[in-house]
Amino acid sequence: MEGDCRFNNGNIRAKKRVAQAKQILDTIGIGGERVQMYNLSSAEGPKFAQYAVEMTHKIEELGPNPLKKAKAKMAA
Amino acid sequence: MSESKTPSKLEKILSSGHLAVTSECGPPRGSDPETIRKKAEMIKDHVDAINITDNQTSVTRLCSLASCIHLKLMGLEPVLQMVVRDRNRIALQSDILGAASFDIHNILCLSGDHQKFGDNPQAQNVFDIDSMQLIQMVRLMRDEGKFLGGDDIVRPPKMFVGAAANPFADPFEIRVPRLAKKVAAGAEFIQTQCIYNVERFKEWMRGVVDRGLHEKVYILAGVTPFKSAGMAKYMKNRVPGMDVPDELVKRMSGVPKEKQPEEGLKICVETIQQLKEVEGVSGFHIMAIEWEEKVPEIVDASGLYPRPKVDD
Amino acid sequence: MIVAEKKPIEEIIEEVEGYKKILIAGCNECVTVCEAGGKKEVQVLASALRMYFMNQGKDVKIDEVTLERQCDHEYLEEIRNIIDQYDAVVSLACGVGVQFMAEKYFSTPVLPGVNTCFMGVTEERGIWTERCQGCGQCILARTAGICPVSRCAKRLLNGPCGGSTKGKCEIDPNVDCAWQLIIDRLKALGRLEQDYEKLTPIKDWSTDRAGGPRKVVREDVRI
Repeated sequence: MEGDCRFNNGNIRAKKRVAQAKQILDTIGIGGERVQMYNLSSAEGPKFAQYAVEMTHKIEELGPNPLKKAKAKMAA
Repeated sequence: MSESKTPSKLEKILSSGHLAVTSECGPPRGSDPETIRKKAEMIKDHVDAINITDNQTSVTRLCSLASCIHLKLMGLEPVLQMVVRDRNRIALQSDILGAASFDIHNILCLSGDHQKFGDNPQAQNVFDIDSMQLIQMVRLMRDEGKFLGGDDIVRPPKMFVGAAANPFADPFEIRVPRLAKKVAAGAEFIQTQCIYNVERFKEWMRGVVDRGLHEKVYILAGVTPFKSAGMAKYMKNRVPGMDVPDELVKRMSGVPKEKQPEEGLKICVETIQQLKEVEGVSGFHIMAIEWEEKVPEIVDASGLYPRPKVDD
Repeated sequence: MIVAEKKPIEEIIEEVEGYKKILIAGCNECVTVCEAGGKKEVQVLASALRMYFMNQGKDVKIDEVTLERQCDHEYLEEIRNIIDQYDAVVSLACGVGVQFMAEKYFSTPVLPGVNTCFMGVTEERGIWTERCQGCGQCILARTAGICPVSRCAKRLLNGPCGGSTKGKCEIDPNVDCAWQLIIDRLKALGRLEQDYEKLTPIKDWSTDRAGGPRKVVREDVRI
């Protein structure tokens, strides 16, 4: 859980870096919603599955990475 | 104290042993001199000299120098307030000569509020010299007739030099040494920040008297009447370097809104009466910003009217 | 060290408008320490720009290099052989490095990738504060090692002013009043009484920015 990191501040630092990455992705037009951070312990299998499903649905809604389309267009 | 060194009427009143009374006017945010003239008319018979603030709180206004000239042309005694925030040593010396050319004989040397508080927070600031160095500079110009650069001044300024003191600012422990420093730099009169906490002021004055500073510099105690309980609260909580005791806020809040201005004036007069008894106080500086019309009433009720006449 | 801050990516995108071959050049010294323009920041910026341009359908080549410093000839020389491959450089060095690179590679546009802020210290990771403004006549011996020129908002040499409140400056409750710091330290050194009342004379600002662009020469090390 947040703060309960085996590496002390590790997950706090990661949270801030993920926030930074989201911001950059928003600025350059890719979309910060494509990266997400969840906190859980290795014992919480079902929760992991739940988050994975949640994220999958979200990505399906957002569609493929816009860079894929752009790359294809440029190759053509 | 000593005899007058300048033609300043304020200095003459102080050196003759009278309690002096000064007040201040804020210039308009435009070029109409009528505002200044009107304010000055209201108070002229009840004060010995009138301070004109210099872009106070860094809000751009008609300059202090021009306003002082308007007062001088009315036959009144101005005190030119000069901050070091906006002008370098060249401009400061130049403006001092400008004032002297109109025979303005009083100057108050100040640092100035930081420009972030005003209407141009993006402006550069100057601070070429600080307020203590300005005091030294005016004394040099007057007593030695020299520019800072060493050249002689033709018709040197004859100015009575003042500075501000805030007995309530932090850190308290150096507030008396700071006054001593200003005296050593050449300050001849002091106008203090407005006083509400008379006990704390007395404590400062004890330190001042202990060092004999009251014999080297005339101290004018600052007072400001509360217009409302809201103003009292604002000054207590939002103005740095201001000490407003709880009892005064309670007193103001304890009367109905229409009665608050009257109560504020009462407190002001009571404060003056208490301060009259404090050793080392040579007069009063009444700051009633945007309430100048009450100054005559305050001076009257404090037993300070009529003002003494001195030969010009 | 010199402390700088990353420019917003939107601003850099505007700066490089129209260029097709861009070199992002970082610096291994000050801007690395303040995490604004070192190798890591070069990588992140380059990656972000590549993604941006690709998303826009624009074919822009973005390369990366990080030099030891950009304020010495020998390190800037290291890119002499490759500079002509690019039609612009975005330098993440401080303003000094950007300019030196621009002087050296006269016909290549060199654009700034950071805003250079001040000379200061790392108080803790993520917080840098100003300490020196390079006035050219250091008075730290008189002020117990605390500089009123850089740390007093009004650069008072005989402070504090009446706006000092509870040890903080009137401009911001998070900014220390330099004169409170000086007084505290003079007290700790047992020198408050003798030093506080000494009047500091008017400063000679001719060695400061006011005197014009400055130069230091050591004849004894020149040949």
